[in-house]
Amino acid sequence: MSRGTGPVVWVGIIATTCLLLVLFKSMLWLVVPFLLALIIYYFLQPATQRLVLQGFPRKTAAAVTGGGFIALLLACAALLFPWLTSHAVGWQDSLSRYVEGGSQLLLRTLAGLEAQFAFLERADLSRNVSAQIGNFTETFAQRYLADLVLTLAAWLPTLLLAPFLAFFFLRDGRRFAKFVANAVPNAFFERALCLMHEMDRTARAYFQGLISLTIIDTLALALGLWVIGLEGALLLGLVCAVMAWVPYVGSVLGCLLVVLVAATDFPADPWMAYGAIIVFVLVRLLDDFVFMPLTIGRSLRIHPLLSVLMIFVGGALAGVAGLMLVLPLLGITMVVGETIGLVVTDPRLQARWAHARRLRARQAAADLQG
Amino acid sequence: MFLFSKSEDSPRLNKLRALSLFATLSPRELKTVDGLLHERNFLAGEVIFDQGDEGQALYIVEAGKVLICRQGQPVEGRIAELEPGALFGELALLDDSPRAAQAVALEHSTLDVLFRADFHGLVETHALIASKISLQLARHIGQRLRATVITRQVRPE
Repeated sequence: MSRGTGPVVWVGIIATTCLLLVLFKSMLWLVVPFLLALIIYYFLQPATQRLVLQGFPRKTAAAVTGGGFIALLLACAALLFPWLTSHAVGWQDSLSRYVEGGSQLLLRTLAGLEAQFAFLERADLSRNVSAQIGNFTETFAQRYLADLVLTLAAWLPTLLLAPFLAFFFLRDGRRFAKFVANAVPNAFFERALCLMHEMDRTARAYFQGLISLTIIDTLALALGLWVIGLEGALLLGLVCAVMAWVPYVGSVLGCLLVVLVAATDFPADPWMAYGAIIVFVLVRLLDDFVFMPLTIGRSLRIHPLLSVLMIFVGGALAGVAGLMLVLPLLGITMVVGETIGLVVTDPRLQARWAHARRLRARQAAADLQG
Repeated sequence: MFLFSKSEDSPRLNKLRALSLFATLSPRELKTVDGLLHERNFLAGEVIFDQGDEGQALYIVEAGKVLICRQGQPVEGRIAELEPGALFGELALLDDSPRAAQAVALEHSTLDVLFRADFHGLVETHALIASKISLQLARHIGQRLRATVITRQVRPE
C-alpha cells in the first residue's frame, strides 16, 4: 500500500468499484465492446510498437496492425459464413447428440450411486433427473432459442464496434492522454502524468497477462485432453481458456463442455469423461497456483483475499459481467484512488492549487478594479 | 508513403529546433518529440515545483522567465533566472531523486514539459532520437557542472 492511502481511501476505492459495477451493468452495450477493444488493443500494441521501432510513424503502424486485424476478421467472417450456413443443420444434430451423451453419462452415474446407496434409490433420483432433463431439452428451443437468436442479433453490431475502437485506441491513444493531461491544474500535473502512466501500465499488464494466460491454458488443456485421447483437443482447450475469462462460472461451463464431449465421443467408456474432469481440475489447479500468479497476478498487486471477496461482490452486483470486470476495474480504481488520496492528503499541493486559483482570479479581474 | 512525404517546417518545429536539447534532431524526429511534449502556462508567482518534490519531468522555457531558488527564499536563495530556451529539472529524466531547488514563474510563462516515462518510452521505441537528446542533455549537465566548478574557484568557501 502506498504512502498516504489509509482505510478511508480503501473504503472509497471499494465503494467506487462497486458503484462503477452497478453503473456498467446498466450500460453493458458500451462496456462489453470497450472491454473487448481494450483486449484487442493490448494484443496488437506490441506489434504496433515493433513497427514504430522500425521507423514507421505511429499512425501508419496503427493503420497497419489495426487495419490488418480488421481485414483478417472480415476475411475469416467471409470464409466462415458459407461454411457455417452449410453445417448449421449438422451442428443442431451434434448439439442434441452431445446433450444426449451428457445426460446419459449423468444418468449412468446416478444409477451407479443408486445401486450403492439405498436412500437415493428410494428417492427415484435418476428417474426424476431424467424427466427434468427430458423436459428441459424438449422445451429448450421453444422457451429460449428465439430469445437467444434475438440477443445475438442485437449484440452483433455492438461487438463489431470493438475492433474499430481498438484501432482508434492504437492511433489516437497518446493524443487522448495528452488531451486529458491538459485539463489538469499545474499543481497536480506531474502527479496526473504519473497516474495516467500507472493506469496504462496496470491495464496493459492485466490484459497482456490475460492473453498470455489464455495461450498457456489452451496449450495445457489441449495437451492433457490429447494425452487421454480426446479429439479436437486444441479447439476444446481454446474454448475453455476463453470461457475462463469469466471467473468461476466460465470454468464450470468449460468443464461441463469437456465432459459432454468426452461422454458423447466415448459413450461406452465413462472413464474418459472422468479423465477429462481430472485433466480439467489439474489444469485449473496449475492455473490458480502457477500460471495466474506468473501472468495476471503480477500485474494488479491486489491482495488475494481482496481479489476473491471482490469477485463475489462483482458477481452479486453485476452478474457475469461483474465477475469479468471486477478485477481490472478494482486495479484501475486502486491506482486512481491511491493517487487522489496522495493529492488530497498533501497540504502543500492543495495550497499551491489554491494560490494558482487566486492568481488566475486576480489576473481575470485586473482591469475591473479601481 | 511516409518515407517520401515532405518534411514539415512549422513555426512550432522551428521553435523546438532552436532549443539546445533538440538542436540535433531532424524535422521528422522533432515531430515525434513534439507529440510527447506537454505545453503548460504558468502565471507570475505560480510555483512550478517545490524543492524536495519527486522529480518526474524536464521543463523547457518556451516563453517568460523562471526563477530557480531555495525553497521559499526567492531573494536570498536565488540560484538562477532562466530565459526562453533554457531547460531545468533535467535530472528528473535520469532518476526519481527529489528536486534540488524550487522553480517559480517570474512572469507569465509557457513551458514545454517532457515526462520521464515518455522519455524512457522514447529510449525503447526511437533509440536514435533518445540518444541525440541524451547527448545534448549530457552536454548541458557538463556545462552546468563546469560553471559550478568555475564559480567555486572564483569564490572559494
